[in-house]
Amino acid sequence: MDATPQMTCQTAREAFPEFLDFRTAPTARMAERSHLAVCPDCQREFATLTRIATALDEAPSALPSGRMRQRFYAMLEEEKHSARSIHLAAEREHHARGLSLWRRLGLPLAGCALLAAGFVGGTRFSARSPESQDHSDPEARRQLADLQQRVNAMGQLVGYSLIQQRHSPTVDRLQGVLTSASRENPPPQVINELISALALDPSAHVRLSALDGLAAHLEQEVVRAGVLACLAREENPLVQVSMIDLLATARDASARPAIEKLSTNVTTDRNVRDAARRALAQL
Amino acid sequence: MLAVRDGELNALGELFERHHGRLYGFLLKLTGDRSTAEDLTQTVFQRMLKYRHTYRDQGNFAAWMYHLARRCTADHVRRSSAAPRPIDPADLNLHADDAPHAAGQASVHDDHRLLYAALALLDRDDREVLLLSRFQELSFAEIAGILECSVGAAKVRAHRALRELRDAFFRLQRPTPPVS
Repeated sequence: MDATPQMTCQTAREAFPEFLDFRTAPTARMAERSHLAVCPDCQREFATLTRIATALDEAPSALPSGRMRQRFYAMLEEEKHSARSIHLAAEREHHARGLSLWRRLGLPLAGCALLAAGFVGGTRFSARSPESQDHSDPEARRQLADLQQRVNAMGQLVGYSLIQQRHSPTVDRLQGVLTSASRENPPPQVINELISALALDPSAHVRLSALDGLAAHLEQEVVRAGVLACLAREENPLVQVSMIDLLATARDASARPAIEKLSTNVTTDRNVRDAARRALAQL
Repeated sequence: MLAVRDGELNALGELFERHHGRLYGFLLKLTGDRSTAEDLTQTVFQRMLKYRHTYRDQGNFAAWMYHLARRCTADHVRRSSAAPRPIDPADLNLHADDAPHAAGQASVHDDHRLLYAALALLDRDDREVLLLSRFQELSFAEIAGILECSVGAAKVRAHRALRELRDAFFRLQRPTPPVS
């Protein structure tokens, strides 16, 4: 039915949601209201919708159980505790980073400073003895060689200390490994630290660098035994393949059982099994 | 909620006290199950804590809360794919002030029972928009934001859902004609 020439029942009913919303001003949509006032079909439609909307609004509200409040506050306490733990951990980290910086840079620098002071002092002392200025003097040459050796050892120790600090950033540990690995004749403790980095460092990059460093010292039995021991615990296929290749290059027959085991283990990465089979052919 | 976002977690307790009853009522009508509604209410507050850093000042807190509630319900339905059961009003713990008085108690109870049964017959989307639109603290602009549609579309959906509910209600109210 059309109450007004412009208004149809369909157009008027589009305004019903607003009429059913108590926040709508009584003066809004006057054309539709005028239609509703004179259209019995729309009045019936609007009356039934109003009844349902009112019933819905007046439907009884349920109360949650008391357990819900307990669960909420338990969750809130847990979150507060967790947030506090994170805050404390961040503070500890910050504190540890300060200490770590001192250990990483301060101690080696202090060592270098002491060495430099000793060198300057020695130079001044020797300058007072004309006979010692002659570099052709065997004693002076021996002292200079000794000094050179100490400087080299100091450099090695800096690298060594960097590897040891497994909580320091990966890039620093990598730098430590590279420094130690670049020495031509590393002392046993540096070899040990390289093996230790190969076995324990969480970063595959650091372990691969340690392996590269050890590759230059394959003639040492301790190096081959170390690599073999690390192979059993290694899980990264890239590092496993590098270790197998290294042991095959060294023609270390004692590695055969471990490599055979890898070549037949179906859970091992396919690339690792292939590398193991190649190595067995070489061995 | 801004205080919660900035680390004052105790402020969430105040929000819980203010809103959890209404949120629980909404979820109970939506799911038809008390235990599910309690679990979902808890999950909504958990998500408020988890995603507190995403809360922005431009929105109404209630709209954000119902947005989370809608997501939680959708996740729950996806996991359980359980159809809602009609609530029996006799099972509800009523607020003392809401309890109907003696006169007409039986017929009111029947009407509520039929209303909940009719509500359970609607599609979840229809039930959702209907409950949101009858929660008078939300404007259609806010409902449109929660449903991610235009204001016009939200009004049309709400009106259609109300008609569906009315038809279902009257179908249930009408006694089944005897088979001759």
